[in-house]
Amino acid sequence: MSARLEAEHLYKVFGRRPDQAVERLRQGADREELRSDGATAAVIDASFTVEPGEIFVVMGLSGSGKSTLLRMLNGLLEPTAGHVRFGGQDLTELGDQGLREVRSRKISMVFQHFALFPHRSVRDNAGYGLEVQGVPRAERERRADEALALCGLAGWEKSWPDELSGGMQQRVGLARALATDADLLLMDESFSALDPLIRRDMQDQLIELQKSLKKTIVFITHDLNEAMRLGDRIAVMRDGRIVQIGTAQDILIRPANDYVASFIQDVDRSRVLTAGAVMDTDVSGGEPQCRCETARPATPFTELCAISARVPHPVSVLDDDGRMVGVVPARRLIGFLGEEDGDTVACDAPGDAGSEKVMTRA
Amino acid sequence: MPRIPLGTWVNDAVDWLLHHVAWLFDFFKAVFTGTYEGINAVLQAPEPLLLIGIFAVIAFWLRGTVAGVLTFLGFAFIHSMDLWENAMVTLALVLVATIIALVVSVPVGIWAARSDRVSGVVRPVLDFMQTLPAMIYLIPAILFFGTGASAGIVATLIFALAPGVRMTELGIRQVDKDLVEAAEAFGTTPRNTLLRVQLPLALPTVMAGVNQVIMLGLSMAAIAGMVGTGGLGGDVNEAIGQLNVGLGSEAGVAIVILAIYLDRMTNALGTQVSPLGRRAAARARSLQGLKIWSYRPRPAVAVIGVVALALVAGGMGVFGSNGGSAAVAGDKNVGQGKKITIGYIPWDEGVASTFLWKEILEQRGYEVEAKQFEAGPLYTSLAQGTVDFQTDAWLPTTHEQYWKKYGDRLEDFGAWYDETSLELAVPAYMKDIDSLDDLKGKADLFGGRITGIESSAGIMSLLKNQVMGEYGIDKEYRVVDSSTPAMLAELKRAYAKQEPVLVTLWSPHWAYSDYDLKKLEDPKGVWGEGDGVHTVARQGFADDDPVVGGWLKNFSMTEEQLTSLEAEINQAGKGGQQDAVRTWLKDHPGLVEKLAPIAAEPAAAPAEAKRPLNVAWFPWDECIAVTHLWKNVLEQRGYKLNLKQMEVGPVYTGLAGGDLDLNFDAWLPHAQKNYWEKSKDNLTDLGTWYEPTSLEVAVPSYVKDVTSLEDLKGKADLFDGKIIGIEAGTGQMSLLHNKVLPGYGLDKEYKVVDGSTPAMLAELKRSYAKKKPVAVVLWSPHWAYSEYELTKLKDDKKLFGEGNTIRTVANKKFPEQYPQLTEWIKNFRMSEDELGSLESVIKKHGQGHEADAVTAWLKDHPDMVGRMTPR
Repeated sequence: MSARLEAEHLYKVFGRRPDQAVERLRQGADREELRSDGATAAVIDASFTVEPGEIFVVMGLSGSGKSTLLRMLNGLLEPTAGHVRFGGQDLTELGDQGLREVRSRKISMVFQHFALFPHRSVRDNAGYGLEVQGVPRAERERRADEALALCGLAGWEKSWPDELSGGMQQRVGLARALATDADLLLMDESFSALDPLIRRDMQDQLIELQKSLKKTIVFITHDLNEAMRLGDRIAVMRDGRIVQIGTAQDILIRPANDYVASFIQDVDRSRVLTAGAVMDTDVSGGEPQCRCETARPATPFTELCAISARVPHPVSVLDDDGRMVGVVPARRLIGFLGEEDGDTVACDAPGDAGSEKVMTRA
Repeated sequence: MPRIPLGTWVNDAVDWLLHHVAWLFDFFKAVFTGTYEGINAVLQAPEPLLLIGIFAVIAFWLRGTVAGVLTFLGFAFIHSMDLWENAMVTLALVLVATIIALVVSVPVGIWAARSDRVSGVVRPVLDFMQTLPAMIYLIPAILFFGTGASAGIVATLIFALAPGVRMTELGIRQVDKDLVEAAEAFGTTPRNTLLRVQLPLALPTVMAGVNQVIMLGLSMAAIAGMVGTGGLGGDVNEAIGQLNVGLGSEAGVAIVILAIYLDRMTNALGTQVSPLGRRAAARARSLQGLKIWSYRPRPAVAVIGVVALALVAGGMGVFGSNGGSAAVAGDKNVGQGKKITIGYIPWDEGVASTFLWKEILEQRGYEVEAKQFEAGPLYTSLAQGTVDFQTDAWLPTTHEQYWKKYGDRLEDFGAWYDETSLELAVPAYMKDIDSLDDLKGKADLFGGRITGIESSAGIMSLLKNQVMGEYGIDKEYRVVDSSTPAMLAELKRAYAKQEPVLVTLWSPHWAYSDYDLKKLEDPKGVWGEGDGVHTVARQGFADDDPVVGGWLKNFSMTEEQLTSLEAEINQAGKGGQQDAVRTWLKDHPGLVEKLAPIAAEPAAAPAEAKRPLNVAWFPWDECIAVTHLWKNVLEQRGYKLNLKQMEVGPVYTGLAGGDLDLNFDAWLPHAQKNYWEKSKDNLTDLGTWYEPTSLEVAVPSYVKDVTSLEDLKGKADLFDGKIIGIEAGTGQMSLLHNKVLPGYGLDKEYKVVDGSTPAMLAELKRSYAKKKPVAVVLWSPHWAYSEYELTKLKDDKKLFGEGNTIRTVANKKFPEQYPQLTEWIKNFRMSEDELGSLESVIKKHGQGHEADAVTAWLKDHPDMVGRMTPR
């Protein structure tokens, strides 16, 4: 059964006198000050909780400390300060031996550049974690083959990694991580090295797998679109600090600061937003007044646009009980697309509401 | 700047090491020579063509048909050049050095890869080892390890170690960090990360290192020829010394063939052992399809091929040796295959004498079985007649009870050794303790301990009950009961550290020959008279076989013989007794004839001839001549000579160290003055056999108007302002620099070019061929004078000094070891005519036929043998 992962005030400082540096960070010193003293703060005061079965995405540009943060979660890097708890066990308290045990049974990892062992066949790669656990060969191969089949690689067991395409290699990497039945899956920019089409496939497959496996997943990426697609919740990192944690829509609609705002500029909002996020909730309660098409809060933005095009008035959004929770006027849809939430200005030319007509025709 | 006496420090350090850690070097020496001899024996044993076949099959397996065929041709070529034996010596040397280098370098490389600090320490050490000129550690290697294989191995090792360490470190560090992290992320232990991820992936690089180790080892093995390791390096050295480009290139090509083979095989092996390499190779092959030239048998087939050939080779070896013993020459085949059974008690002297007789009797055509018994059963078997004789009966005291019981059914052939005694012994470095009386009051020195043997032994009860009481030391000393091996181990340990130690011992015992020990005198005679070691046979044996009976009745051994044989056997270890006897017999030529004489036996050799003489020679004409002359003459007198070709420096070191016995070509007092001065404390000068010699500057005769050193003045242009010299630092060169040139006022005009003798001769040859003026440093006698028309420049001011004389130099102990030979050598003279004619006969016969040449020359000089070695 999956378990909850908690990170509590994690710090990681490389270089000289790290403990002292953490103390100064706590007192409000910034990264640049530390750097002049020869210490590099990679992660500063990171705290978050990942619920069982949740995909938690950490997003940030390179150098933002996201990879360092990930490696503290399974003890590959020892936090300078703070705690990591997984399933109630404090990993920071464990010795080398204990950490190895946890890594081999409870936490597995998928890497950006696949990190498959070139001297092992696909099956032996997938079964590596089991081999470390000391699982007997027969069972190991059976479970490795199952994991490979799960990742769509049935029939490739006897191939060698260098015979596979990038996407297939990463499936092997995923199978290797899944084969151990670890509860926590750490994915370090796992799809970043793949070309866009394959990346889409892999993302879909991960979502598909997650529906049945319900692992706790921490996924690192620098691609906000990917973060929005995969993440139940997203943490945005900058310069070692987590600047915002929230759902994709939270971040899109209510960016915590200019940095996040500038980040989300390029995001294809239509893929992320749903009716629930864009609706005007001032009008709520009661039944719809007509029998026109309606939407639900989870209706995706693009579908909502389609409905809006067919309906002459604002689209009503109903909850499961058929009660109206809001309406979406067509103008509001356009506003969200254009990131404009101000009021409409009056037009000085005759023939108003032209924009709405155009929209309708489109 | 004050002078920093680094040289002095190094000298002191070397001296210190020599005195204090000699045991360690001895240990290494034993390991090195042991491994080397083992591998060499394996390589030398089979018929060359069969071994070539095995090599070819290996190549066939690893690289394919073409490689297999080429390997066969290449090695067959070496064989056809008569260099096979030497090539295998070199191969054995390189293999041993490689194995040891890998055992050391791979772990060090791994360590260095995992720790930056270790890497930082190791790196400069490697640089040091790799760049320090070889000669600098070749000489200390001789000091520590003696001449021969082990010194060569050490030098090779030092040189070849570095790439092994470096490539291992590099290989491991090169392994993708992601992969190591992945292994860690799955909870792999560091040890398994190393074994399952890092090493397999580093293997191609590590194998490249192995390859480098072998290549460097091979190149070093050639240089090591200078210290008498032999092999192809020896051939190269010899050829260079004589400017024999032909022989040099033969040996050189043989080295190249070996090198290419080893290189390609290790490369291919690298592919075979690393999973990645195997994959790549398999893929390449599948692309290529099956072609006969690149066809490679599967490993199983190859192994079967190698094993089959090895079996045939082994089988031939076995049959060969059987054939050898069956083919005991007619007149020596006394036994005609008759069976004799010898029984023995596993005591050192029993084993030694039994296997000695086993070997002797087998040489005489008997079929001998040696059976080991406890004392009681042995006497029983003898009495029953199932054993023919035994050589280890301690009579009359120790085996008294058995004799009483079975004596009437046994025959006593008498004592072959009667200097037995029981005693306490201390190392010779314990001054002031010479007798049992001296032990009193010295208990502190020995920690109050006498290291004993098995408490049940007779010597122990005698010691405890009588000896100690009689000398009044039973209060002071405690006898530590242990075992014979433990006592010997304790002795060895204490001896190595030069610590005081007091042990119970008996004679004969090999410990007396291995260590310098003192038997404590027993003025009161408490230990009693010693037994004699008797040969005892079953009744009627002497009647059944009067010949062997006669031999056994006359059998006797001296203490020196017995202890050295015991030591030899002890070294060989279990199972190697008879081989040890054979080796020992080689050092004691003529002994078989003495112990088991056959009618019409040639006159016995003088006693001193038993040990072979190690004679070093330089590849210079007069030296080749005189050395082979002596070899011929002395072998007629029953001596055995091992000739070793070496450089001047190593010869003096070897002579001083006792590894070498003789060198006939010491140019003294000038030319080799430096070497002599350094080692003269440990050397003896056995006088001159040829004088006068001279040192000079010579020019070709076609250079007119230059007949004396004075004539050189103002002619610098003619000679390009150069005088071609030889090795810097030789006596002659210093003379030229410091006296001759300034003396004639030539030092401004001429520059002396330092180089080497071969280089000088090469330059002379080149200039002579072009009729170009050239001035070279030369000396007489020298073959260059018979080869080219040269003018010795007159030295009117006698600045080169009186000529050298050619003298015989030996180890300091030589005169006492070889009184007869010393006298002969001291009286030995050769005239210019004799030397010249001998040299020219040798030259005519050509390289490799020196012995024939000497024989031919001796026919023309019938008085020579008598003159050199008067009876």
